[in-house]
Amino acid sequence: MPIIEVENFTKQYPLPDSKNETFFAVDGVSLHIDKGEIFGILGPNGAGKTTTLEMLEGLTDIDGGHATIDGIDVQSHPFKVKKIIGVQLQANEYFDNLSLVELLTLFGALYKREIDPSTLLEKVQLLDKAKAKARPANLSGGQKQRFSIACALVNEPKVLFLDEPTTGLDPQAKRNLWELVTELNNSGMTIVLTTHNMEEAESLCQRIAIMDHGKIVAEGTPQHLILQHAPEPPEAPLHGNLEDVFLTLTGHALRD
Amino acid sequence: MPTKLQLHLSKVFLKIFLRDRQSIFFSLFFPIIFMTVFGFANSGGQDPINVGVVNDSDAVVAAEFVQQLIDNPIFNVTVGVEDSLRGELEEGDQTMVLVLPEVFSNQNLDQDSTELRLLVDAAQVQQLGLILPVLEQTLIEIEREFRNTEPMFNLAIEDVQARSQSYLDFLLPGLMAFTLMQLSIAGSGFNIVEYRRKGILKRLFVTPIQPKDFITAIVLARMSIILIQLAVLIAFAVLILDVRMIGSIVEFFFVVILGTFIFLNLGFCLGSIAKTQQAVILVGNIVIFPQIFLSGVFYPISSMPELIQPIAYVLPLSFVATGMRDIANEGASLLTILPSLLGIAVWLVIGFVLATRLFVWKEVAN
Repeated sequence: MPIIEVENFTKQYPLPDSKNETFFAVDGVSLHIDKGEIFGILGPNGAGKTTTLEMLEGLTDIDGGHATIDGIDVQSHPFKVKKIIGVQLQANEYFDNLSLVELLTLFGALYKREIDPSTLLEKVQLLDKAKAKARPANLSGGQKQRFSIACALVNEPKVLFLDEPTTGLDPQAKRNLWELVTELNNSGMTIVLTTHNMEEAESLCQRIAIMDHGKIVAEGTPQHLILQHAPEPPEAPLHGNLEDVFLTLTGHALRD
Repeated sequence: MPTKLQLHLSKVFLKIFLRDRQSIFFSLFFPIIFMTVFGFANSGGQDPINVGVVNDSDAVVAAEFVQQLIDNPIFNVTVGVEDSLRGELEEGDQTMVLVLPEVFSNQNLDQDSTELRLLVDAAQVQQLGLILPVLEQTLIEIEREFRNTEPMFNLAIEDVQARSQSYLDFLLPGLMAFTLMQLSIAGSGFNIVEYRRKGILKRLFVTPIQPKDFITAIVLARMSIILIQLAVLIAFAVLILDVRMIGSIVEFFFVVILGTFIFLNLGFCLGSIAKTQQAVILVGNIVIFPQIFLSGVFYPISSMPELIQPIAYVLPLSFVATGMRDIANEGASLLTILPSLLGIAVWLVIGFVLATRLFVWKEVAN
């Protein structure tokens, strides 16, 4: 049963060079994300992944199409949607001068909820840090990402959006974050994440959509995509993996 | 009334602001240094008074008298002929010219008093009130010396001058108004830009927080801090620098609160327009800088060129500073500063309308 339904999303931006012309950052994207799945959106930089997420989160105006999350229309009831989603953005800076516990309490208050910061911090393995009265500035990259997720969990969201959660993390931190995401998913939470990490998409996501130039170029389970799009054995006899699929579909040209 | 959420948020912001020790220190540091420097500069002795002396007498006593005047540190004596000294007086180089008549000598000590002519410039009349007693005092002392008499009474001199209004008294309310303007504009405008640059506003935007909750919280927290900071400054000025505040402190703070609202609003406008920290500082200076000079903070607006005065009088800081000064210096009540309050009210409306137009939550957050 789909919890997120996106029909024909479009978003236009003026071209950086000439203000009069526009280009489609998101160009007719439709998605059906099932309740309880981990759904990955893959794509090179500038493919429209983040814009698509931001349209769902209410951050960016929807130029065309429409979407519902848990049956609520995203465009007409943004505040109802905000109550049931948790969001981790690419930038994850917080107020200076507030400790982890204080920040979590603050986020709880924004949802008018009394929360228990230590339970959340324990869930993301930051309880020690919190006991040392750490502030976000004192955390490492991986710890910061886990803290961001803790902040996104204060309202016990039905859907959790993670925008490139493992970019810039070392392998240990990356694995650790995958475990956390899997754990959350096991408790029934729907998770939508963007990534350019093939390994992440392959091992973490139950279904993925590959985006390029604002369009979805392929969608399905990782195995399905590999079977369908991986280069024929003569071309790549030993490595029929998802990265090959990705490159076959989006080309080898470098992106900005 | 603020909601529970708004109060909670205000407390959080208060915590954030209070933990920024450095900016709290510097926001107090500048006005305190400023007041202290002015306090000391004004408590120092006066510059010597330029006095021209025309000695028409050839008596030894007259020469001694002139010497005494020269030795007196209060006077800066120029001896010369009447015509040229009169010219200097007219040009303002001399404050007054004292003419010793030909008959000036100790021959007639026991007779009628000798008339000394004192030429003054009408433009210097205000100063004259201060100088004359000093001059008379000096003459009496000189006379006593000539007569060899001891004074009947000896005054142990304490500060005999009645407590007149000092420059610091004038400066304090203006400086308070200026400080509250800076703190308010920085407190709303600069903070918003910082939070946006860091992506904090974006993060807040994806939670169900309403922009009015966010704004109310910042306003309440900033307001509390500014009131505390001003109270510290006033306590310092009154207790340490002996600045006098006549009017009601409650009414004074009423004007402070209104002023803070105006400049917090203007700060929100700046924060919404300017996208970078550099831009907000530049735009902020465009608002702050002219008002430092034009709003009667350091000297009265009435002493400014006529052409500028109409503009100067309607600046927001002018209304706030004038209102605060009338209360502090003259003991005016809210009723008597009604014109200032009306000006403040108009700026409150302008600021509020602009701020609500410019502060679009989605655009500011992104």
